[in-house]
Amino acid sequence: MIYFDNAATSWPKPPAVCAALSDYFGDAGGNPGRAGHRMSVAAARIVENAREAVAELFHANDSSRIVFTQNATHALNLALYGLLRPGDHVVTTSIEHNSVMRPLRHLETLGVELTVVACGVDGMVDLDRLHHALRSDTRLLVTTHGSNVAGTLMPVAALASFAHEQRILYLVDASQTAGAIPIDVQHLDLDLMAFTGHKGLLGPTGTGGLYIREGVALSPLIRGGTGSDSAHETQPEFLPDAYESGTLNVAGIAGLAAGVNFLSEIGIDAVKTHEQKLVAQFLAGASEIPGITLYGPRDGALRCGVVSFNVNGVTPSEVGLILDESFGICARTGLHCAPAAHRTLGTFPMGTVRFSFGWFNSPAEIDVALAALRQIGVWARSELATH
Amino acid sequence: MDGLISFFASHHAMRAEAVLKSSGWAVRLIPGPKDLSPNCGVALRFEYAQRENVLAALVAKNVRIDGVHCYRPRSDDWSVRR
Ligand SMILES: Cc1ncc(COP(=O)(O)O)c(C=O)c1O
Repeated sequence: MIYFDNAATSWPKPPAVCAALSDYFGDAGGNPGRAGHRMSVAAARIVENAREAVAELFHANDSSRIVFTQNATHALNLALYGLLRPGDHVVTTSIEHNSVMRPLRHLETLGVELTVVACGVDGMVDLDRLHHALRSDTRLLVTTHGSNVAGTLMPVAALASFAHEQRILYLVDASQTAGAIPIDVQHLDLDLMAFTGHKGLLGPTGTGGLYIREGVALSPLIRGGTGSDSAHETQPEFLPDAYESGTLNVAGIAGLAAGVNFLSEIGIDAVKTHEQKLVAQFLAGASEIPGITLYGPRDGALRCGVVSFNVNGVTPSEVGLILDESFGICARTGLHCAPAAHRTLGTFPMGTVRFSFGWFNSPAEIDVALAALRQIGVWARSELATH
Repeated sequence: MDGLISFFASHHAMRAEAVLKSSGWAVRLIPGPKDLSPNCGVALRFEYAQRENVLAALVAKNVRIDGVHCYRPRSDDWSVRR
C-alpha cells in the first residue's frame, strides 16, 4: 500500500505518537488545570509541554499565545468570528479551502464585506491585484499558506507587509504547511495563524490551534469552564484560557506533542527538502506521460507536498478507483473541500486527482505511482480510441 | 520549602515549574489552597528566601503569577507577603 493522502491526514504517525496516547490513558489520565492531584497535574504538564513545543516550532516567544483547538477549521472560525463585525471589510483569495470560505460567506450575510482576489490558473496570487484590493477600511487579510489543491505556496511575508502597511491584520491558514515548511511567526510578522495537528504535525485528529499575536483581541467562540478564575461567572480574558473553555483533547494533545518533537529532531527544513524532492520527481516524471494534465506551479520550490493532475478523458474518481484497486495507491479525488480553488484552476466541477506526500514517503513510491499512471494513460488512450 | 506562588492559570503554573526546575531551583507543585487562590488547582512551593531571584526568573520568561505567600501547612493563617 502506498499512502499519498497526507494533505487529508498524515499516515503513518511516528510510533512515539501512539506511545504518548497510551501513556496518557495509562498514567496521566486526569483533567488538566482542574485539580491539584497528581493525575490532573500530569495532564496539565502534558498540555503545557505540548504548547511549549508548538510555540518553539513556530518561533512564538510566548507560548500562552498558542491556543489549542479541535482542528484548523475551529481555529479559523475562532479568528474570523472573533474579529470581524458587520461593516468590516475582509480580503481573501480564490484558492481558499471551505474552512475559510464558508465562514466568510456566512459573515457576508451578517454584513461583513468580502473581496475575493482571483489567483492565476497555477494558484499564484497576483500581488498587484491583491495590493489593490486592500482598502483603508479593510480589517483583515486571510490567505492560505499552501494550497491543498494545487500545492501553491503563498508569499506570506510579502502579504504580511502589504497588510501591515495599511494596519490590516493578517491571518494565515497553515493547514498544509505546519510541520512541512518552516514557519517563523515573528520573522513572517503574522498576526494570526491557524494550524491543524493531524496533517504535517503528525499528531492525532481532533488537535489544532491558533497563534494569536500579542495585542490582537478576539471575542471567544465559546465560553465556559477553564479551571481558572473559578470565582467569577464571566469569561477570563487572559490567554490561553480565554479561548480554551471546556476540557481539552488531552490525549490528542499528548500525541501532537510527540509528533512535534519528532519533527523538531528531524528539522522542518529537512521535511521541506524531502517533500519538494518528491514533488519535483513526480512533476518531472508525470510531465512526460502522454495524456496527463498537471496543475499548479511547475517549479517545485513554489509548492508544498501537494500535486493535482488529471488523466485526460477519465474522471478523477475513476482514476482514484484504479489507483486504489489495481495499484494499492491511496489518492484523494474530487473537489477537496475547495470549490473556489478548482474554479481558479479550471477544474470545477469535476475536480482532480491529488497526491500529497509526507515525510514517510519515498522516491521508490513515486516511481511506482509514475509507472501506474503510465499504464492508466495507455489504457485511457485505447479506451478513448475504441469508444 | 516555605514559600508558595499562586497562579491565574494552569498554563503559568506549569511554565513556572519548568522554568524554575531548569534553573536548578527546588520547587514542587501542590494542590492550591482554595483560600489563597480559587484559580487553577495548583500552586508552586519554593524557598521563600529565594523569592527575588525566583520572581525575576519568572518575569524574564513571561510567566504571570497571582501572588506570593508563606507556606504553612495545616494552618489557617495564610498571611500574604509580597
Ligand atoms: C488549506 C486547508 N485549510 C483548512 C483545512 C481544514 O483542516 P481541518 O479539517 O483539520 O480543520 C484543510 C484540510 O482539510 C486545508 O487543506
